[in-house]
Amino acid sequence: MAVIDVKNVNVTYRVLMNKSGSLKELFRDAIKGKARVIDYVALQDVSFTVDKGEVVAILGRNGAGKSTLLKVLAGVLPPTKGTSKVDGKIAPMIELGAGFHPEMTGAENVLFYSALMGREVKHVRERTPAIGEWAGVSDHMDFPLRTFSSGMVARLAFATATDEQAEVLLVDEVLSVGDADFQEKSKARMHELITSGAAVVLVSHDMRAVLELATKAVWLENGHVKMIGNPAEVVAAYEAN
Amino acid sequence: MKYAQLIRLLVGRELTLRYKRSVIGIGWTLLNPMLTSFVLWVVFSFVFASKLPGNQQYAPYLMAGILLNTFFNQGLMQSAESIASNGGVLTKIYVPPQIFAISAALAGLVNFFIGLIPLAIVVFISGQTLAWTLPLVLVVGICLAFLTAGLGLALSIMFIRFDDTRNIVNVLLMILMYLTPIFYPVSVMNETMQNIIRWNPLTSYLEIFRWAFSNNAFPSSRDWIFMIVTSLFSLWLGTYVFKKYWPRTVAML
Repeated sequence: MAVIDVKNVNVTYRVLMNKSGSLKELFRDAIKGKARVIDYVALQDVSFTVDKGEVVAILGRNGAGKSTLLKVLAGVLPPTKGTSKVDGKIAPMIELGAGFHPEMTGAENVLFYSALMGREVKHVRERTPAIGEWAGVSDHMDFPLRTFSSGMVARLAFATATDEQAEVLLVDEVLSVGDADFQEKSKARMHELITSGAAVVLVSHDMRAVLELATKAVWLENGHVKMIGNPAEVVAAYEAN
Repeated sequence: MKYAQLIRLLVGRELTLRYKRSVIGIGWTLLNPMLTSFVLWVVFSFVFASKLPGNQQYAPYLMAGILLNTFFNQGLMQSAESIASNGGVLTKIYVPPQIFAISAALAGLVNFFIGLIPLAIVVFISGQTLAWTLPLVLVVGICLAFLTAGLGLALSIMFIRFDDTRNIVNVLLMILMYLTPIFYPVSVMNETMQNIIRWNPLTSYLEIFRWAFSNNAFPSSRDWIFMIVTSLFSLWLGTYVFKKYWPRTVAML
């Protein structure tokens, strides 16, 4: 049984021409018959599966639909057509630190971020000192996040996000963060997570990382799958393009 | 429930964040309704105090109105706003978005309950006593939380789609406030106005609340029906509208 099963997924954004962000403008345009809706197709008939232990890399240029696909997998964007089934707990490593609030302390943010990802609050409370320590911000955990440097925030977010192993890992270019030392450390942890047996979907422009980590590659172009298969072959074809 | 712990954290965050940088912090939750009530009391007590029936007192009458109105206004705006302002989270991590709107309404409910303490003090200062029907205030609070969360959910879709909904809602809320007998007794109005005021559901909530707390109103059974029907209907409407339009709206965040 595949952990992730994406079948004929289509995502269409409805875009209002001359984007009227206000009711007044929409009303005016509708009366004049100018309100025109165009459908922007972000994903078209995308199908693939990811098994336990598989690492699937998604390749493609900006705007090819990679982020949309990750959103569909994360369950935040329902597909317009088709189905996307994901079994198990999802850890979305997409723009880490979503939900961080500058007025809350480091520890409170860790707790809240973890709860958003569906972790047990009681367990997280015990883990918080270790998370702070790993991120190298132990002394700051009881101060508001606004007093943190941006590097510290990124480190804390990374440490929190990667603190627990999930069955499904969605990774969007966050292979490493912070300064040189921390980059090494975070890269090692990320590799450890990716190779530890979860079902992984990895979006990356770093072909070296893709070749090193992926067991399968999917090449997206203009919203549809152009090629799918062995990473070495797909990367070669993608780079030749 | 799977998301209970998240709701608890969100409610706590909502309650503490508003006054995070102030010296007395959450103490403002107590002070705010007292100060507002005091100002309005100074302004209006000469005009309206004598218009209340014999055994009713103007100070608790007024303050009950303010507490309820604050709950509704703030709760509604915050729950309608909550989904747009948490867009960053909702486009990355899956949590049922409704949680944010519900938490905002619950935070309003907690604030409302905290506000009952100063209200009780005002009741005693005015020489009244708390009514034995006090536990029914809980029912009013829960019904109002339903009403707020339901309307908030429906509005949250509009808030994301159309920027100017906020301004329209603000004006509507102001009209609604004047159509609720917060600082005036219904009896001072002419017949037509009284009828309009009676059709405002918030009037029913408020009358029941005043009666249950310290006998400062005479709600009818119609008020009870009005309260329960509007709260359940609003909750149903909100969840329905939200479910229906969310898939298309999330793409706009």
